[in-house]
Amino acid sequence: MTSPLTSTDISLRVNGEERSATADVRTTLADFLREGLGLTGTHLGCEHGVCGACTVLLDGAAVRSCLLLAVQARGAEVTTVEGLAEGDRLHPVQQAFHDSHAFQCGFCTPGFVMTTVALLAEEPTPSRERIRECLSGNVCRCTGYQSIVDGVALAASRDAG
Amino acid sequence: MTEVGARAVGASVRRVEDPRILTGRGRYLDDVVLPGMLHAAFLRSYAPHGRLLSVDVAEALELPGVVAVYTGADMQRLTEPGKPGVIAGMDQMPGMALPASYGLAVDKVRHVGDPIALVVAESRYLAEDALELIEVDIEPLEAVVSYADALDPAKPPLFEEVGSNLAFQMELPLGDVDGAFARADRVLTATISVHRHHPNPMETRGIVASWDSAAQKLTLHASTQSPHMLRLLLPPQIGVPMEQIRVLAADVGGGFGLKNSVFREDVAVAAAAKDLGRPVKWVEDRLEHLATGGHAREEKADVELAVTDDGRIIGARLDLVLNVGAYLADPFPGSTMAMAAVMFFQGPMKLEALGAKATSVFSNKATYVSYRGPWATGDFLRERSLDIVARELGLDPVEVRRRNYVVRDESPLAMLTGTPYLGVTTRECLEEAVRLLDVPAFRERQEAARAEGRYLGLGLAAYLEGAPPPKTNGERQADIVGDETTYLAVDERGRVVITTRQQPHGQGHQTTLAQVAADELGVRFTDIDVLWGDTDITPVALIGTGGSRAATMANGSVLHGSRALKAKVLALAAELLEADAGDLELADSTVSVRGTPGIALPLAELARIVATEPERLPDGVDADLRITEVFDGGEGGWSGGVHACVVEVDVETGLVAFERYVVVEDCGLPVNPAIVEGQIRGGVAQAVGAVLLEHAAYDEDGQFVAASFLDYLMPTSTLVPDIEVHHVQTVLNDPDVNFRGVGEGGMIVAPAAITSAIEDALAPFGAQVREQHLPPSRILELVGTVPVR
Repeated sequence: MTSPLTSTDISLRVNGEERSATADVRTTLADFLREGLGLTGTHLGCEHGVCGACTVLLDGAAVRSCLLLAVQARGAEVTTVEGLAEGDRLHPVQQAFHDSHAFQCGFCTPGFVMTTVALLAEEPTPSRERIRECLSGNVCRCTGYQSIVDGVALAASRDAG
Repeated sequence: MTEVGARAVGASVRRVEDPRILTGRGRYLDDVVLPGMLHAAFLRSYAPHGRLLSVDVAEALELPGVVAVYTGADMQRLTEPGKPGVIAGMDQMPGMALPASYGLAVDKVRHVGDPIALVVAESRYLAEDALELIEVDIEPLEAVVSYADALDPAKPPLFEEVGSNLAFQMELPLGDVDGAFARADRVLTATISVHRHHPNPMETRGIVASWDSAAQKLTLHASTQSPHMLRLLLPPQIGVPMEQIRVLAADVGGGFGLKNSVFREDVAVAAAAKDLGRPVKWVEDRLEHLATGGHAREEKADVELAVTDDGRIIGARLDLVLNVGAYLADPFPGSTMAMAAVMFFQGPMKLEALGAKATSVFSNKATYVSYRGPWATGDFLRERSLDIVARELGLDPVEVRRRNYVVRDESPLAMLTGTPYLGVTTRECLEEAVRLLDVPAFRERQEAARAEGRYLGLGLAAYLEGAPPPKTNGERQADIVGDETTYLAVDERGRVVITTRQQPHGQGHQTTLAQVAADELGVRFTDIDVLWGDTDITPVALIGTGGSRAATMANGSVLHGSRALKAKVLALAAELLEADAGDLELADSTVSVRGTPGIALPLAELARIVATEPERLPDGVDADLRITEVFDGGEGGWSGGVHACVVEVDVETGLVAFERYVVVEDCGLPVNPAIVEGQIRGGVAQAVGAVLLEHAAYDEDGQFVAASFLDYLMPTSTLVPDIEVHHVQTVLNDPDVNFRGVGEGGMIVAPAAITSAIEDALAPFGAQVREQHLPPSRILELVGTVPVR
């Protein structure tokens, strides 16, 4: 429910498409993506910017969509986990995660995938130590991280950036 | 990245679950959207303990977009109070107090976060706005926080009807305790504690309730480990019979035991949805979750050990107290874990007698829930005790463990409880861990490092877990969770459909159950569908997934059910092919006649004939391609192993770093090694968090002080090390089913291994580690840099 006094139209490019919807000005980018646009692949794990589950790309940079307002993303290019695969063909990072058993419950996974996509775009061949450092802003409760690091390393070795 | 080859079992088959999750198409609780759905938020108590004098919701109700506000008085009108543990028979246990409660606080608040009111509004944002408009008047009562508070008769009881804050008390005498102490060369004592921490899955709790007034049917979408549990527990509280409740659970974002409960919030939301006739969604936020989602552990034990001069613990007395918080978890009250902890103290140790007293106490803290190896404090007490003996007698902790752990097929052949040590490989695991870490070489390196002011430590610990354990005197032990029922069928397309009571939440059952069925049936892995998470189709069960049961119970049920289904398929094929069933084989989803190439009947064709041309089948033939398989666990067996690690403690900062972490384990035959190793590593990571970071802390007034991820620190990728997993040769106990549970082991044993290593590192400082929580501040106390608080 939105109020005419506080609602606004928000237009942005999401996964390569122009999208717009009306939302309260206080709506977070995460809620806008999930509820306004129906893109529920972006998950909310803490809503205070620590766990990284809600990570999306904003003009190519990994950001926490729970800490941004949707209005701050006006006119921007947003990529979510739904925007990576081409049809049935997984994105190389997604494929490497699949091949590495990189997750269990999968709730945190979209955030890890998006963080990894951003990392490999900037640093195509990170060391294992560097991978651990760059993933340290994302929390996973299931895996103990090793298989995720394996997945990132595998993606890097396949030139996935 | 293994492809399914000739045999699926034993291969790290890539998970069927993955593509939907990786592309954002997983469906978790908050992804459920129903027409006309409203959103709920709870007003929660700021006070630890107090009389709830008034709750004024008038202003909140006036806020546009607010549909309803419920209070405890409304719950009294709409529901009956929940009686925790009754369905699991806990009311039959002597010494057990089971106070009932409503979904919302009625006359008292009993912990910070106790739900007081439920706002239902057009959006979650508006519901949260309305929370701020509710006026609450609470008259403070003295808070009951510590063990001493709870045991002090002068402190107010949380539940007047109980009369004290004793939630549970029992004594467990096993063997000749006094005799063991009389024979001991010395008696060692210690007080050992485990701090409050919790499962903290990445997906919090939540529920969507929808009432169909025409059909009088309640549909619940839940983030749960046990969908049927809601149907079993809610009816007496909300007045809807079990057969009118359907529970749906799709992808579940972790549980670790927490989500094997029905919560007071579930009752309140279901009652609100029924009252309003509109779907209501509640998704817990992280701050609520940390404060009230469900805590675990918090035990303390006075331990008395009867020790021989050669380092054997022959007897023990335990006096254990567990702080269960305010409201009991339903159906498994945390208070029972006091008993479980003392019963698991023995583990693989050649103990001759155990005298235990277990007490649980109420306090003004959040509900104590099951967390991955809920009895693990018992294992922690044993392994700390072994290290205490080693230090006291000047023996190497490895040698003390050699002398105390049982050896397979040598006396004692059974635990003090009577459960046989059938097929235990604890000693093999120990020796392999010692070999892998090269303990003698490590000791030299440790010595050299100390000379340079660097503090390395080696720790190790063992555990046993029965899931289910071997039979005792030929009988299965009583198990309230029951046998495992699975439905298996060949549908009209020739696809094999497995309908399981398991509720996967990360374990990959959609993959592993299909692996087992593929091998047993001779059907292609990709021709198998695993269905779960819809109580209209799944077998009824109090527990879906929990207790590390799936490996033996679900896989075993699928294994035997597949064999029965295959026999039906071959009998029908024999009729259609006019062949002897004994000459037929089913492979690659096709029936063929051995020695007669060219004759083949694809399963899809057989299924089509059964569905559409039944006249081709002889009269009286059984053409029902469905099986209901009930598996009792077979012979059972032990899962277990030894964890060993090397840490370096920075005595300037108090930080601990892992140099190496080795798991040597025996979980029988793994169905999918990558999944098994993932379970183990995940448990170790939780233990790393438990020991070095996590603490669900209250201050002395009962205020909760760890309500954000800035205060409750989770282990991250820079702290958790790579974890080596090694397997020893297992001993097969059952003719058919030797897959054993592995879900809990990591979290059971790793806290003991890590604390052991830290104590070893700090030996030059004379540090005596008697607790599990060792954050930097405590490390600095142990080395004497800062004074002990």
